[in-house]
Order: sequence, then structure tokens, then C-alpha cells
Amino acid sequence: MTRRRIALLLTALVAASGVLPLLLLAMFGLQILRQRGERASQEALHAIATQAAARIGTYIAQQREMLRTIGTAVADEADAARRLADVSLDAPSLGKLRLVSAETPARELPRMLSAAQIASALRANEVASETYIAELSPAMDVCVPSGKPGRAVCATLDLLELQRQVQRIRVGEQGYALAFDRTGRLVAAGSGAMRAAVLSGEPVAESPLASGLVKGTPAPTRLRSGDGRDVLAGWASLADLGWSIAVEQPAEEALRGARTALKFLASGAVLTLLISIAIGSAFARRMLTALELEERFRTAGRIAAGVTHDLGHRLTILQQIEQLAAMNDADYLPRIRESLAAEVATLRRFVADFSDLTREAKPADFLPIELNAFAESVRLGAQGYAKEANVAVEVERAPSDLWVRGDRYLLERAALNLTRNAIEASKPGSAVRLRIERSNGAAVLAVEDRGPGIAPDRIATLFESFSSTKRTGVHLGMGLPNVRRIAVAHGGTVSVKSKPGQGSTFSLSLPVNGDQSSSPLTPATMP
Amino acid sequence: MRFLLLIALVGCTAPPGREPVVLRIALWGPLGELAPTATEPGLASVAQPWVYDRLVTIDASGNLKPVLAASIERVSNQQMRIELRLDATFSDGAPVTESDVVRSLESAGLSAVPGEGALVVESRQPGLPIDALLLQAHIFRESHGRNLGSGPFAVTLQSESELRLTRRSPRPGRVNEIRLIAYKTPRDAFAHTLKGDANLIFDIEPRSLEFFRDVPSLQVFHGAGRSTDAIIFNPAVSRADRRQLAEALSSPQLRELAYGAGECAEPGAAPRNDVSLNSGPVLRILSWGTFERLALAARRILARRGGEIVHVTPQEALSRIASGAFDVVTGRPLRWPPSSMALVWRTGGPYNIFGYSNPTFDDAVDRADWAAAEAALANDPPAAFLCTHDQLAVVDARIMNPKLGPYDTLETLPEWEVAR
Repeated sequence: MTRRRIALLLTALVAASGVLPLLLLAMFGLQILRQRGERASQEALHAIATQAAARIGTYIAQQREMLRTIGTAVADEADAARRLADVSLDAPSLGKLRLVSAETPARELPRMLSAAQIASALRANEVASETYIAELSPAMDVCVPSGKPGRAVCATLDLLELQRQVQRIRVGEQGYALAFDRTGRLVAAGSGAMRAAVLSGEPVAESPLASGLVKGTPAPTRLRSGDGRDVLAGWASLADLGWSIAVEQPAEEALRGARTALKFLASGAVLTLLISIAIGSAFARRMLTALELEERFRTAGRIAAGVTHDLGHRLTILQQIEQLAAMNDADYLPRIRESLAAEVATLRRFVADFSDLTREAKPADFLPIELNAFAESVRLGAQGYAKEANVAVEVERAPSDLWVRGDRYLLERAALNLTRNAIEASKPGSAVRLRIERSNGAAVLAVEDRGPGIAPDRIATLFESFSSTKRTGVHLGMGLPNVRRIAVAHGGTVSVKSKPGQGSTFSLSLPVNGDQSSSPLTPATMP
Repeated sequence: MRFLLLIALVGCTAPPGREPVVLRIALWGPLGELAPTATEPGLASVAQPWVYDRLVTIDASGNLKPVLAASIERVSNQQMRIELRLDATFSDGAPVTESDVVRSLESAGLSAVPGEGALVVESRQPGLPIDALLLQAHIFRESHGRNLGSGPFAVTLQSESELRLTRRSPRPGRVNEIRLIAYKTPRDAFAHTLKGDANLIFDIEPRSLEFFRDVPSLQVFHGAGRSTDAIIFNPAVSRADRRQLAEALSSPQLRELAYGAGECAEPGAAPRNDVSLNSGPVLRILSWGTFERLALAARRILARRGGEIVHVTPQEALSRIASGAFDVVTGRPLRWPPSSMALVWRTGGPYNIFGYSNPTFDDAVDRADWAAAEAALANDPPAAFLCTHDQLAVVDARIMNPKLGPYDTLETLPEWEVAR
């Protein structure tokens, strides 16, 4: 893992543990804010609806009171009919004022009052029709007692003023009021789009809610309005008239404040997160650089210690050989020659170990490798060493070809390293097995020995640098870490299973590269 | 290369066009058939100025403007010399010829005699000014039983409830299709306009404008009215009495009572308390249509002389007027352009259904002296002229320069610009 990725990971962890809880807290708070905002808007709309209902109720009551007063004052006069007709000049909302009695022809009776209502009016009761549209404005027929038995004063209340009042109610930029009669018919609308329903009498989405409200069914405070928008609503009813008033405001507008706060805070949180990530990343990278530097010094020290130890050992041997040579005794020459050859071989391996460390695996240079053939090649490479140790090396092939891609040299170094380790751990006369298999979708080269095994407490640090405990003077402790480095560079892993006294199995797992049997780079054709 | 091709393709693709604005005009009542002459009354006549050109029209100052005419030369109040444009064509592509014009003018009560590269046009109705007759004369040609016009629009569909017109040569940024839709009642027309089925409605009473306020898709516009609400007297009432009645009725008080403040174009005047009506017969007030309130206000001003109000249908009112069975009647006679006064008040004028006759007025009309004609009317008033309303209309908010009048209500519609 690169320093950059580690730094990012560290930063993300810091951000997740520090900023994200704050962010969640903010979101939670904003949700509460939004809910409270919605509730506050609905309460405000309800208050406006209540005020509007009171105003409309007062207006209607005033008109009827005026009619009663006029009726009582004029009905007894000789020219009552003319005076009543003239009233509408001064009171434009009272139209078609006339005296009604049992003798009044049917065509002159208020058209929206039933015969039963007229009869009731003639019995000195006040009666009123439902609202209707007369000459392009809402109207209502009303009869009041005239003060004389058998006669009533009737008029058509022009409710255009009511329409004006309702239209004047504005909430924000788009909020409006609606007035419904007992049946749910829209009688006045502040929303232009819904005014057609006032004239046509067609029900709107709110109509059933309005008629339900008059019967005691609560109306919802959030709904889809007659013009198809999601609105918040406040409702009020006029018990006397059986009317209901709805004041609606598009939810989008009503909650704009909360939404703006939400956006602002979310932006702030994201900004904070980004800043913390940026700062955290910079600090993490600086810390990692310092750690890496320290680690390098430590590594250099460990290498120096290993090199000093191993080369010191070799120097001691070379000094002994030198002393032996200084004796100029020809009998010692074979021994001197053998010792020098052995030391040269040891130092060569020493140099080879260092050389392995300097070679990087480059995926662009990877080639297909058939693992069974590769194992045979490893076996041959380890043959000399195995012979010296009197250990047999066997290959257990997979049932079919198993292909991987890789740097053949590095993989061979890794496999040879594992094989030599196994040979070293094996008793003379025993065998080391190179087993090829497909396991969990990966191609595996397992190196098994029947040696003494590895102590469990060693296994955890087995693949760390300079952890070798052999310290025989020929090991830097870089072998297994290098095997792991090579495995990782090929997208694979290396693992070990060991039981003290029963031997160890090191498994080098590599990604399978599919069937490459038709590839021109089969081992047979490879150089 | 592919990228370049893509850019070229995108660059060459026209941007998605906006839906063209179709004006759907809401009317109420029988649509009738569109004809160049006023033989058949009907709402379709609204489309006359778009389909049938005239030789002349009139500007807001009352001056004649050539349309199919190339030049106009007034010979007398009864006669004009008119040169024709040579480039005009009917909707079938045929050129507008001198004989088409002569035939059209003759059907409008005018005579036209070709001579020296021009037509000499004369009123065939003695006493009626040629200006007024020319404004009513549409040029047309009969072809396969249809009357074709040379205006910018042609009829593409006509049914009992809809008249569809399409611009002969579509113009970008203008209205290219118009539909007149007839509804049964004003309420239906209003409701369908609010619903969006129609997007132009006119001839609206001021109080009805409430419905269209704050409707985002619509805009209200207005233009000067051509007619004036009046209380028209039976000519049998003596001149002195009519003068006194006219003076009493033409009061700001009556205007206020009947219409409310600021509803009339007439300048407000301080209330006059010195006008009193002498004793005289009680006057029956004949009323019809929307004049109920005016009748009540007039009766109050007439005080003791204000008699019974009889509110009848327009047909019944016409019948009673024709038989002289009224003392005063509510009405809305033409007042503009000045020459139109002749149609209403000149002895024997086509709209003079009241039987009014005033030789001084007739003489002034014959001289085309409109100021003198006004003075003659004031001296021997046929009516008390009370209130000239603005014409009110509501149209689609995308129309940029809607305008009413000056002569026909929607005559400028072909020039209205549409927001892009």
C-alpha cells in the first residue's frame, strides 16, 4: 500500500469518526427544523383561514342584517316595491329586493329557494339558499321577515365582494384562499387556475375535504391541491353557513426557508468535511514520511547488523583460510580450495539475495506461465541443493494445465526460496513436495516439507524483513519477505500452515490467467 | 473525426421549437356565418377585418388610412376618388380587380365608377357620409359559393360552434392561427378561458375582471370605447324637456350611482345642484340587458318624474322602440368615429331606430362638420350621454402588444407580436 493511500485511509478514518457524526447530527437537526417549519406554516395558514372565515362570516351577517333592517323599515310603506328596488343603488351587494307574499307569481320568487323555504319565510323565518353563480358572480338568495305576517323581504346577495375578499388573501408569493359552501362547491378562489371551477361548479380536489370538514371530519394539512400542486393548508369553517375556508400555500414556497437552511448547512458540512480531509491528508502524509524515514534508518541498522554479522562470520572463516594458506603446506591446499569455493558460493548467494530485492515486478512485462511446467523447472533448479542435502524434491501436478501471468524470473526466485527453505528444514532422506492445484479460483504452488515445523509464535512475523532466526551466516532474513513482495506484486498471496514436528506448507497463490494453451509462449517455446 | 461529426450534427439540428400560439377566442351566443356584409348578425363578424380588407380604415385620431386603396382623395362628403393597390390578392391567389371592388362597394350601399385610373366612390344613401359607409364595406369575391377576402387570414373550418382561421402566409413571431369558439353563456366562456381552453375574451364588464386578476397565463388590456351608455328619449318628448332631462341626467351623481367612481371616460365634474326638473309627465323607463342599474339610477335622478322601470329582453326592447312605446330607454349608441353619429342620429339613418330628426344636425353631417353636428345634438338632444367605458379584454400573457380598436375591436390582432 502506498504512502498516499495510507494517508487517504487515515484521513477518511479521521473524517468518518469526527465530521460524519457532526454531519448526521446536523441532518437530524435540520429534519426537525423542517418539520417544525412545516408545522409553523400550517399553524399560520390555519390562523389566516380562521381570520378569513370570521371576516366572511361577519360580511354575510352584515348583509343579512342590512336586509332585515331595510325590510322592517320599508315593507310597510305604500311605495315599498320601488323603495326596495332602489336599495341596490346604495347597497350594491343587495340585488333584486322585493316583497314576497303568497300572491307573488312564481316567476318573481327567488329562484334558488324551494317552495318549502318560501313558505317558511312567509311564516316569519329567515331562509337562505345555497350559493350559486348569477351573472358571473357568486350569489345567494335570502328572505327575511318583513315585520308583517305573510310577507317577507327577499333579495339576492351578490357575493362578488366575497370573491374580492378571498382573492385579496395572499400568503407569500403563491399562497391563496378558497371558500367552499356546504356541498363542497367552490364559491370563491384566490388561485386563478381554480377560478374556472367557481364558474363551472365542477368539484375540485379539496371539495370532498371541505364538505367533510363541515360534517366534523378533519381536513388534511398537506395535500395535492386542485391545481395539482403539493400544498400546505390551513382550514376553518363557518358553522352558521356551513362553509369552509382553506388557505393553501405551495409546500415548496412554505418550506423554502427550511430548505435554504438545509442547503446552507449541508454545504457547510461538506465544506468542513473537505477541509478536514485536506488538512488530515497533509498531516497524515507528513507523519508517514517521518515514520518511513525512521523505518528506513531502522531497516538500514538491521541490514547493517545482519551484514556485519554475516560478513564478519565469513571474514572469520576467510581469516582461518588465510592462516591455513600462510602455513604454505601443500597438504592443506585441497582444503583451502574447497573452503574458498564454499565461501565464494555463499557470498554469491548473499549478493543474489540483495539482487532479488532490487528487481521490481512490472505487470507490463508479465508473460503467461503454465504452473505445472514451472514447478518442474523449479524442481530442476533446486536439484543440486537437494542432492547435497540428500532430500528428494517431487512435483505433484494439477490434473490440467494451470496458467498464471508473471515475471518468470521473480516467481522462480520466490519458488526456489521456498523450496530451499523446505530442503533445509527437511531431514536427510526425506522429500519435499511441490504441489500444483486450483483452489478458490486461484492457482496455488504449495511447497510441503516434513521438517520440524515452525513455532506458532513465529508464524505471525515470518514474512517480516530480517526475521530469520537461522542466523547461520548465510541468511539475511530477506527471503520470505521477498517472497511475499513478489506474490503481492503479482496480485497474489503467500501463506503458511505448520505444525511443530509435522512439517510446514508454504502456499504461493496467484490469479489464474485462463486457458493459454494456444499461446505461443508455452514453456516449450519459451527461451 | 467522430467528435467533429457529432458537433456538426448537433450544430445543424434546429433547437426544439416552441408551440406556436393559437389564439382561441371565447365568445358567447350564436356564432353565425362569417360574411363580408352585415346581412347576417353573428359573432363570427369579429373575424371580418382579418379575412376581408377594406379600402380604408381609420386611425385613433379619426383620419382615414388606405388599406386596399393606394390613395384617397375626398371630392365631397358624399364622394371620394380612390386609386387601388395593384398587388392585393384574394385568398385563392386571384388578384383583387376593379370589378371585385365595385361589386363589393355596391353591396355596402356605395356606388363606384371607374375612371382615369381611379374609382369615384359615392354614397348611394343620401345624407350618409361616405366615410361611415366605406368603413363598413369589405372587399370580397364570390368563388364556388364562398366569399373570399384579401385579408391576412382565410377560413379553414367553420362549424356551429367554431370558426378556424389560418394566416395565408405564416409570419414568425405573430399569431398564425385563430379559433373563434362560441359558448352558450358568458359563464361558460369565462370558465373555459380560466381553464385554458380559450386564451382571449373581450367585451368584459369591469366587475367581471375580478375573475382574471392574478391569473399568470393571462393579461388584461383595454382600449377606448366607441359607444356611450345613454338614456335615449322618445322624440315625442318636447325639445325643451329633453334638454332639461339631458342636463339633469348627465350628472356625475348619476354616473357614480350607476357605475361607481372612475368607471367612465367622461371627465368628472363637480356635482351640480342647480339642475331641477320642472314638472312634467312621469317617464316610463325601458331597460334591457345590463342596464338595470343605470335605469334605477336614472329613475332616482328623475325623482318625481321617474316612473316604472320595465326591464325586457333586447328583442322586446327593439319592438317597443320601433312602436314608440317608451318614454326613455337605456342604450349604448355609437359615438366614435364622429361620422358614425350620422348612422345613428341622422334622419333616416340605418341605426336611427328611435325616429329622431334634427335638420341642423343633418345639415352639419352633410357638411362633415362634426363639431357642428355635436353642437346640434346638444341643442336638441336625442339622449343624455352618460358614460363611455373602456373596452376590456383578456388575452394570453405571451402576446406582447395586444390592443383594442380603434375601429373594430380586434382589428390589430394580425400585427400582435408573440413572445419568443
